[in-house]
Order: sequence, then structure tokens, then C-alpha cells
Amino acid sequence: MELEVLSLFLQQGIASGLVTGSIYALLALAIVIVFRTTDVANFAEGEVYMASAYLAFFLIAIVSMPFWIAVPATVFAVLIGASLFQRVVLTQVAAAKGVSVNLVIATLGLSYVLKGIVRATGFGDTPRSFPSVMGEGSVTLGSASLTYLDLTILGAALAIMAVFFWMFNYTKIGRAMRAVGMNRRASQLVGINLGHVQMLVWGLSGAISAVAAILIAPKLLMTADMGVVVTLAFAAAIIGGFTSLPGAVVGGFIIGITENLVGLFVSSRAINVAPFVVIMLVLIFMPQGLFGGKVRVRKV
Amino acid sequence: MLTRRTPLRAAAVAALLSMFAAPALAQEPGLTPTSIKIGLFGPLSGPSMSYGFDVMNAARMYYDKINAEGGIHGRKIELSVQDDRCNANDLVAAVKKLVEQDQVFLLNGASCSAAAVAGKDYVVRSGVPWLMLNASADGALYPPQPNIFGAFSISQRAMGGSIVEFAVKQLNAKKIGYINHDDAYGAWNLEAAQFQAKDNKVDLVVESVNPNISDVTAPLLKLRAANVDVLLIATYARPAQLILKKAYELGFTKPQVLAVNAIANVQQLSENVGSKDAFKNVYIQEVLADKPGSEKLKWVYDMYKTSYPDLASKPDHPQVYMPYGIPSAMAVVKALQDAGPDLTRAKFIEAAKKLNFDSGVMAGPIAFGENERAAQKASIFLKFDGAEMTRVPGAFASRWTYQGQ
Amino acid sequence: MIMNPITNRQVLDLPIRESGAKNRNRIISGGALVVALAVLTVVLPFVTSGYVIYIANLLLVFTVLSLGMHIVIGEAGQFSLSHAAFYGLGIYTAGLLNNAFGLPLILNIIAGGLVAGLCGLAIGFLSLRMRDIYLALSTFAFGEAMQWIFLNWTPVTGGPNGLNFQPAHLFGFTFLSDKAAYPVVLILALVFVAATFVIHFSTLGRSFRAVRESEIAAAAVGIDVKRVKIFAFALSAFYAGAAGGLFTTFSTFIHPESLGFHTTILVLTMVVVGGIGSVSGAIGGAIVFGLISELLRQVPSYQEVIYGGILILFMMYLPRGIFSLIGRR
Repeated sequence: MELEVLSLFLQQGIASGLVTGSIYALLALAIVIVFRTTDVANFAEGEVYMASAYLAFFLIAIVSMPFWIAVPATVFAVLIGASLFQRVVLTQVAAAKGVSVNLVIATLGLSYVLKGIVRATGFGDTPRSFPSVMGEGSVTLGSASLTYLDLTILGAALAIMAVFFWMFNYTKIGRAMRAVGMNRRASQLVGINLGHVQMLVWGLSGAISAVAAILIAPKLLMTADMGVVVTLAFAAAIIGGFTSLPGAVVGGFIIGITENLVGLFVSSRAINVAPFVVIMLVLIFMPQGLFGGKVRVRKV
Repeated sequence: MLTRRTPLRAAAVAALLSMFAAPALAQEPGLTPTSIKIGLFGPLSGPSMSYGFDVMNAARMYYDKINAEGGIHGRKIELSVQDDRCNANDLVAAVKKLVEQDQVFLLNGASCSAAAVAGKDYVVRSGVPWLMLNASADGALYPPQPNIFGAFSISQRAMGGSIVEFAVKQLNAKKIGYINHDDAYGAWNLEAAQFQAKDNKVDLVVESVNPNISDVTAPLLKLRAANVDVLLIATYARPAQLILKKAYELGFTKPQVLAVNAIANVQQLSENVGSKDAFKNVYIQEVLADKPGSEKLKWVYDMYKTSYPDLASKPDHPQVYMPYGIPSAMAVVKALQDAGPDLTRAKFIEAAKKLNFDSGVMAGPIAFGENERAAQKASIFLKFDGAEMTRVPGAFASRWTYQGQ
Repeated sequence: MIMNPITNRQVLDLPIRESGAKNRNRIISGGALVVALAVLTVVLPFVTSGYVIYIANLLLVFTVLSLGMHIVIGEAGQFSLSHAAFYGLGIYTAGLLNNAFGLPLILNIIAGGLVAGLCGLAIGFLSLRMRDIYLALSTFAFGEAMQWIFLNWTPVTGGPNGLNFQPAHLFGFTFLSDKAAYPVVLILALVFVAATFVIHFSTLGRSFRAVRESEIAAAAVGIDVKRVKIFAFALSAFYAGAAGGLFTTFSTFIHPESLGFHTTILVLTMVVVGGIGSVSGAIGGAIVFGLISELLRQVPSYQEVIYGGILILFMMYLPRGIFSLIGRR
């Protein structure tokens, strides 16, 4: 392969990979904060993301709400919905004293319900989008080209992550979340209301997913199956160590770039299996991921 | 004990019994002197329901019309409907239920090709005649089975060959970029595409992607770097739209042709891709007789509106593939008519093999043969500028034939 | 107050004072239920259509799959999510051997189980270091990677076209219909059921459960935790592979689409909803959930919502599964 083509492939692959990677990063973040504070691997993450996109679509295209009202409305609605799910369903499941896998199965139930509802509305069969708020046009960086939409997505995602990290590290509520993530019993002992924090974390996770969905829908188009990207988000979270937030973000970018580089230098067929291979390799050789601490021994 | 009354009583009993015996003596399941039971199945739910939901409705409305006109040789059509969820296990369950439990005379179903192939062995063994709906299902049609008929929309072999022919003859391509999927569909259309390319002595550069792909940068960049003259897009709707967008973003200005399975809804296509400039050099393959919205097909959409007023008022109904149910139902009815009033499954199958008619809905005739089980093989091409479609004259036929593998 | 059926007079409803009688009644009614089920199972092919027997065959295969999942998750507490991959390995092995050499069914089934079991052994080995969520995720990834291999290794598996196999045969008899296959499928499934009960009550079963409860405590009493874990994986995979071989008894086609994560999840929910840790729970869950899945096919519009709703309600209010309602495990 000529050097020029190689260089083009690398640059474009990385540039485009950063854009989709930023979305995977947001979703991975949503998964990790939930896992750290409520010990649940949220298998409904993809469907919450998908349902948010359709809710926004419904508000914008059917109810004809202006974009700048519909977006916050959607994010808020999903935030409330996710917190309610945690409060009503998951606390009951946890209280029912089954096994921990029951919580995961409850999230699976949620994913079926959300998918079923969206399909029942009849909007799901053809790919959809929002009217684009960005003008057309693109920017060239070296040999790579990115559209204004791409840059907006990347910028907005980074901004959301920045806000989130600020909140997580510098506010009282962020401290409470971190405390719960470190040691649940101890945090209750110092007066943190566990139930409230858990509800809030789920709500936040939903809100982040909703934002990710709204950002990426014009680029990747919505279908009722768009939730399958959740496997990529899980891969990203695992690379990061599954309990590290910065790790989740870095993992997201790595997955986005890897997808493209595998497609460019190996084969387009292999794009789909690459994240699974990554998951296996990381867990076999580096189970704590890039950023995770020592693997915590939970049971004695 | 024999008495004088016995012969009379025996005769009375025999007469009584014969009234009930007549239907019981019918050799064929699903058949009475006044009715024919047809097993209609397809995806009524699940991720792929848009491939079959309204297609089944179209078949149903056609059967209703035939019944309103008096039926076939005095028999009205009765439908037994099952959901196959577009997957192999459920399709087999649906078929077995229809054949064994509901005792249908014939099967009319399947919109999903990979699932349809799963039903092949059982249907062949049970001998029940099966006319598919819009499934391409090349895997069940080649090699030809005595009682299985399909590809009323178009076989994937015909699709792949035809689109390459268009690229070569109309667009003068010497090096063709071909993007398809790594599923059964993709394998079939690729086979014919490669055959046609070789036959025309042109190069085919192939990129196969998963239907769930999110970032199409990789395949497009590679094809652009390979300097292809034309880009053929044989994916499903969402990836196809992503590809058109990305091609435009990457400054790819060569002609792009969307295969028929790449188009769900033309208006959505235009909206989703966003920019009209992306459509400067885009063609669409169509297997219906004329472009959507044309006079020729108006009767189908009008019939749908009258038959299903509630559905027609919902968004996105009728679904895109709805008209494909018509040629399939027409074929069933014609074969039933041709088989005559003394109906048996064997006669129906013989009549089906001889079918050759213009449905008025599809680009080409519905035609079977002694060794041909794929009904429709023609497609037309339209130039699409983002708003308007113009017909490109000419016929572009696939030359792939079954080589008896 | 109840009516005396003979005199039609109202009689006082007196409580049964003897608990011995209660237990006896329970055993009798339990035994009667088992006998009724046994009779039903045997008589089924003669009174229903091939379709019902097809569903019965599928349920029997799911029962074996469920038992395999029970062994790795219920008994040994190892969160393995690659079940569908082992099932697929079993199906392809059995089918390909039948196509290539025409071996009798039992050998194909055993071969399917062994190939899957060996793979399970390898996975068990690799996963020694992983716990809980990491184990779940890596086995999930392995399952997805295997499905990709099934889909793309066309020369061997037929790839996206799926694979057709010759009908299975045994002792000169070829299985050409669901009804013909049913007795064999039933007997083999019962063998696995019996084996699972035997394992459950054996030392091996106790070792599994000890590891599940506490690895450190188990090691303290002299159990080789590593070996037990690896064996749990291998055994569970063997079950899944054998279930795959069993599938080829009555089905002659497989497509990789059926061998993905959703199948693993279906089996997992069978075990959990049936009652995790309970052998009869795994069996009951397989039958009940298999039936629910088929019945929901008749309600196309809302089936996903109903299915999800059932899962959520079970997890909220019946966390120990259906069979926790039915007395002891």
C-alpha cells in the first residue's frame, strides 16, 4: 500500500473514529456510573438510547416542537423515566432477595418493553432522522475531512463529559455518588440517602444516553435496532476497566477508532467482530482494563 | 338380527351418513366444495415486520376481492394466518402449525429469505404447495424443488446480475465498487454480480459489511482509493443511506446505484441523506412496473386505502413493500383457476409450473417453468435527483443461471 | 362451610388435625401429577398433530440447554453467557458428521457434546481469573465471536446460507418426521434430567455449590476450586453441545441467526424464572418459557412488551422462580 493511501486511511479512520467514539464514550459512561453505584450491568442501555431518539423524533417531527424545546424536554423525560424505573422496579427486585442476576434480567425486560413500544408506534420500520441543525460543509484536517455535524457531535460530547466530570468531582452530589460507588454501607453511615443517590444516578445515566442519541441520530439514522451499539459501549467500558469513568471515555474513543482501522486494514467483514475480540483479549490479559484498579474480590 | 325393516333402515342410515361422508372423503386437506384454506404467514412482529406486515395485507385484500367476485370455481378462500417473526425456528413452527394443525391446502407466505430456507426441507417432505410472498429465498429455489415457488419480488441472483449489467451497459463502468452484506441475501446477490462482471469482463471490487454497521468510513474510503467508476449499493436501507451521505462527505462524485433492497422509502431517503447535492449522480433500481406514485400502480394503493382505512391513516402505511403481495396472491389464484374445479394439490402444482402472466405490478412477467421456481427477474432503473425520478429506458437482464451445484 | 355432597346439608369445615395426613396427601398428589405428566408425554404423539410434537421436541432441547445452564450458573455460580455458542458447536458437529460419514445419531450427539465440552474446557481455563461481571462479559463476547465465525466460515458452516443436513438415523431407522424423532428425543432428554439429578445430589454437586457460596471456604475444606470451575464450564458446554446434537434429530437446517445472544438469554431466563439453583426449576422454566414464547407468536403486536413485562414482574415478585412456589427444591 502506498504511503499516501496509508496516511489517508490512518487520518480519516482516526478522525471519523473519534466522532463515533465520542458517542460510545458517552454510552460507556452511562453504563459505568450505573454499575458503580447500583451494581447493575444495564442491558437496557441501548434501548433507552433508542427510545430517547424516537421520543425526540416524535416531539420534533410529529408534535412540531421547536428543536430547542424538544431536546431538553426529551432529556428531562428520559431522566425521570430512568429514575422511576430504578425506584419502582429495581429497588423492588433488589428487596425481593433473589440473586444478583435478577437485576440484569429486569433490565433485559425493560429493553424488550421499550423496543416493543417503539415498534408499536409504527415509526420504527424506516430509518429516520431529525432535520439537521448544522449547515452543510466540511472541514479538512490533513487528509481527513469531517463535516460540521461531526464536529458538533464531537464538541458536544466532550462538553457533556466535561460538565459531568466537573459535577462528579467538585459538587456535593458528585461526592455522594463517589462515596456510594466506593462503599455503599459506609456512605449510608455518613448520612447519604442511598435511595436518592441511586435514583439520581440512573436518571443521569438516562439523560446522558438521551443526549448521545439526539447527537448521533442525524448522523447514523434511527431505527428500532439502533440499540445494538450498546455492545460497543460495553466493550468501551471494559477496556477502561469497567469501574473507571475516564477509562470508559478513553475506551469509547479506542473502540471507535479500532472499528475504522480494522475495516480499513483488515476487512470490512471483520468490523463487527472486532469489539468482541477486544473484549476477550483485554479481559484475558488485562482484566482490570487500562484504568481499573485491582480486580475487587466481592465475595468471600 | 335381520327383519323386514332392516333394508329400509339401513338405507336411511346410509343416506344420512353419506351427507357427512362427502367432505370426509375429500383427499385433499383444506378443501371443501365451497372453500379453500390457504396458510398465510410472514413477519407480523419483530425487527423485520416491515418486510411482510403490509405485504400480507395486500395478499389478503386481493383474496377478499376474489371472494367478492364469487371465488374460484365456486370455492371461497379462507385464510389461516401465522406470524413467523422473520426467523428460522418460528417460521418452521408457523408452517408446521398451518400444515398439520390447521390443515391448509397450500401455503402462501415468507418475506424473509434466510428464514424461508429453513422451511424448505419440511415443505418438500410434506408435499404441500408453497408460494412465497416477497422473500427472495434463493436458497430454497435453487436447486428447484417440485412444490416451492418464490421470488415474486425478485430473486437476489437476478438483482445482482441486473445491477451490474446496468453499471456496465448504461454507465460504461470498467471497475465496479460493490457494497453488500455478509448475510444470505448478500451471498446470493454477490454470486450473480460476480458472474455478470466476469461475463462482461469488468472488475468487481467488493466490500461486505454487517447490517448493523455504524461507521461506513472504512468500506467507502477503500473503494474510493481503488478508483472505481461506479458504486453499487446492495445493502439494506439504513446502511445505504449512510453510504450515500458518507460518499458525498468524502467527495465521491461517481455514479451510485441503489439496489432495490436498499430503498425503504424514497422520501425518507432524500430527507435522511439531507443534501440534494448528494443526489447529483444517483440511480435507483426498482422491481415494480413503474416508479412509485405512478398511474400504473394507483389501483393497488387505492385498494389498500379502501380495505384498511384505519391502517392507511397511520404514519408509514402502507409500508413500502406492500405491492409485492399482489403478484404472489395473483399467482395463487391463477394457478387455482387453471387447475380446474376438480382440485388437487398435484394439479395445483402443475398449473403453477406453467404460470406466465403480467401482474401489472412488477417490472417483468411472473413466469415459472419445469425447472424454474423464481418468478420475477426484471428490474427497471430510475435516476433520482433527491425529489424527482426519471425512468432510464432499457432492459438490463441478469445472465446468471443455476449451474446445478 | 362446605356442602356434604351426599346429603346436601351444610357441614362444618373442620381443619385436618394430622400433619401426617397433609404430607401424605401432598406426596400422593405430587406423585399423581408426575404420573399424569408421564402418561401425557407418552400418549402425546398419538393424539396431536406433528406441529405440537415439533414444539414438544423443541421444549425438550431447551430443557437440556436449561439443565446445562443450571449446572454452570445454578450449581457452580459461574456467570457464563456463551451457551448459544456451545449449542451451535454441537449442532454443526453433529450435522457435519452425519453429512460426511452418516454416523448413527447417538455418536453424533456425543461428538457434538464433546466438541462443545472441549471448547468449554478452554473457556473455563481462560476465565479462571475472572469474576462476576467480567466473566459474564467475556463469555458474552466469546458467544458473539463464535456466532460471527458460524456466519463467516462458509466452507464449513455454510455461512449465511445456513447448513442443511441429512436426516439422522439410528439402528437403521431414519427420522423423517417430528413424531418419529420424538421418542428418541424424549428418552435422551430424560437421561440428561436423571444425570443432572444424580449430579445434584452427589459430591460433585456439593463441590459446585460450595464453590458458588464461597471459593475461599471451599478451598479451606480441600476442594480444588480451579478444577471444579473448569469442570463446571466443560460439563455445561457438553450439555449444550449434546442439546445441539439432539436438535439434529428432528431438524435438518440451521442458520447462525438462531445461535446468538438472544438464545443464551432465553435459556438464562428459563433457569432464573424457573428457580435458580433448582433442577426442577430449570426443567419447569424451560417448558413454561418455551411455551410462553410460542404462544406469544399468536399475539404479534404486543408480544415484545408482554414478554418484557413478564420478565420484570417475575423479577420483582417471584425472584426465586416459579418453582419456589412449589415447596422444597
